[in-house]
Amino acid sequence: MRSLFRLKLLPWEYGVRNLFRRASRTLLTLGGMTIVILLVLIVVAFIRGLESSLAASGDEDVVLVYSISSAADIENSSIEARVPALIGASLDDVQQQYGVKHISPEIYLGTRVQIDATGEKGLGLVRGVTRSAPLVRSQVRIISGEWPAAGELLVGRLAYSKLGCREADLAIGQTVTFDGRQWPVSGVFAADGSAFESELWCDLETMQLALKRQDISLAAFKLTPGASLADIQMFCAERPELELKAVRESDYYASLQQHYRPVRMLGWAMVWMIAGAGVFTGLNTMYGAVVGRMRELSTLQAIGFRRAAITLSLVQESTLLATAGSLLACLLAFLLVNGTAVRFTMGAFALKVDSVAVLIGCATGLVLGVVGALPPAIKAMRASIVDGIKAI
Amino acid sequence: MLFLKSGLPVVAAVLLTIVTGCSQQSSQSAYNSLAPDIDVSGYLLSEEPAGAMGVIEAREKAQNDEPVVLVARIGGSKTPWIDGRAAFMVIDAGMTLVADGTDSAEGEICLDSCCASLLTDCTTLVKIVDAKGKVVPVDARQVLKADVNDMIVIRGKITRDEEQGSFAVLADGVHVRR
Repeated sequence: MRSLFRLKLLPWEYGVRNLFRRASRTLLTLGGMTIVILLVLIVVAFIRGLESSLAASGDEDVVLVYSISSAADIENSSIEARVPALIGASLDDVQQQYGVKHISPEIYLGTRVQIDATGEKGLGLVRGVTRSAPLVRSQVRIISGEWPAAGELLVGRLAYSKLGCREADLAIGQTVTFDGRQWPVSGVFAADGSAFESELWCDLETMQLALKRQDISLAAFKLTPGASLADIQMFCAERPELELKAVRESDYYASLQQHYRPVRMLGWAMVWMIAGAGVFTGLNTMYGAVVGRMRELSTLQAIGFRRAAITLSLVQESTLLATAGSLLACLLAFLLVNGTAVRFTMGAFALKVDSVAVLIGCATGLVLGVVGALPPAIKAMRASIVDGIKAI
Repeated sequence: MLFLKSGLPVVAAVLLTIVTGCSQQSSQSAYNSLAPDIDVSGYLLSEEPAGAMGVIEAREKAQNDEPVVLVARIGGSKTPWIDGRAAFMVIDAGMTLVADGTDSAEGEICLDSCCASLLTDCTTLVKIVDAKGKVVPVDARQVLKADVNDMIVIRGKITRDEEQGSFAVLADGVHVRR
């Protein structure tokens, strides 16, 4: 280490000037590195978006009560409409404000939804709710328009992506048709990036009428902070004929995260493969660049610069390029990728270029810069000075 | 180089600590983390109470508030334990559990939805209650030191509401057949 500090290094400007001396090669290398890092950022943004969407959807204090026979699929659940009132009356741990218990009876289903503006149909997620739904789903806030009256719809801000239509097709005043009824849009809501944002919310009673159903899919209870799930579980066990199951909302979405684990694993594998391919591309480019500069590098050795100093200068050039590529890729990712809605089976989520994605992207860039330059530089330094000066 | 030589083992040790810490945390079972400050030894009976009946018979005959001695097996649900409470599901000792979806003969039952109504008739919730009638806030696995399918004899009384359709046993003592 001490000998490295005593080493006579090439001037910093030398490496910087070299980049501009071969502008077209530099631009091509920069372009290649930027694309590799951008690809890594896109895949990480996909994984982070999916993870945060599922994580934001689960509230630790919210308990979902649904049919035991529906396994983990709430869409298939059917419970008696009296269940919310029955459980609410026998529990002390449900949050209450101004005499109103925070209980939300809901119907949840996936159905074909027709976008009236275009006539196209898509698979939408519809949730029939009452006015107590926002008491339980505290992350939901209306960002435009108003709460739906009977027969109206409140659409999540990513619902258009789930339905495969344009955002304007679900603007306030537009209509959609499902279950033989036309539903005008009364407002748009956001929900902190959770899965609710891909749903269409409407009045529970109107939905029951449209579907000719008297039952509900689930009841969501907001418990007082730190309250135990045990009392609701005991209620469900004591009334086996109701066939109920109680699960914390956070556990429900955690189980879905497990369901999507292969997708996430595949995503991380893609990150590694793209980064690996990028390193090999970088190596190839740097090999070409170094071979073309054999005379220059040997001349530097002949005038007294040591091999380590020249290698360090080559790494500096490559790292500078990779850093510029990282910054460019991050900028492009923020402008073009961040927030882009992606459709998946249980809704839609927004790609998320967060600090983790930026960190992984920049780290990939750094590895590309350092690892991509070292082997060709070491190879060039092994050649004899005389042969190098003679090289064309 | 000196930094690399001394720094790498430190980084490795930190990573190892994080990984080990995570795995230890996840492997702890949920109910063990609840500290039982309450003396629960009184709820475990050393002698088996006499005159026990099965769950099916109790559901048919026993009235609300009637003292009862019940013989049953722990189970009748995929998760028979209620976390953090001395409450659990039991199934009639005469019923044999078979794999979900298989054809079941007389006296056999599965935990799938096909046997849901039959399950209702031969299972019940048991709540171990204190002198005030409140469910003991200690996990039943800690009270009984028993496992699923263990045969137990419960002493207590029936609580049933025909109108609401609820049925449960409020136990003051449980004997586990070893």
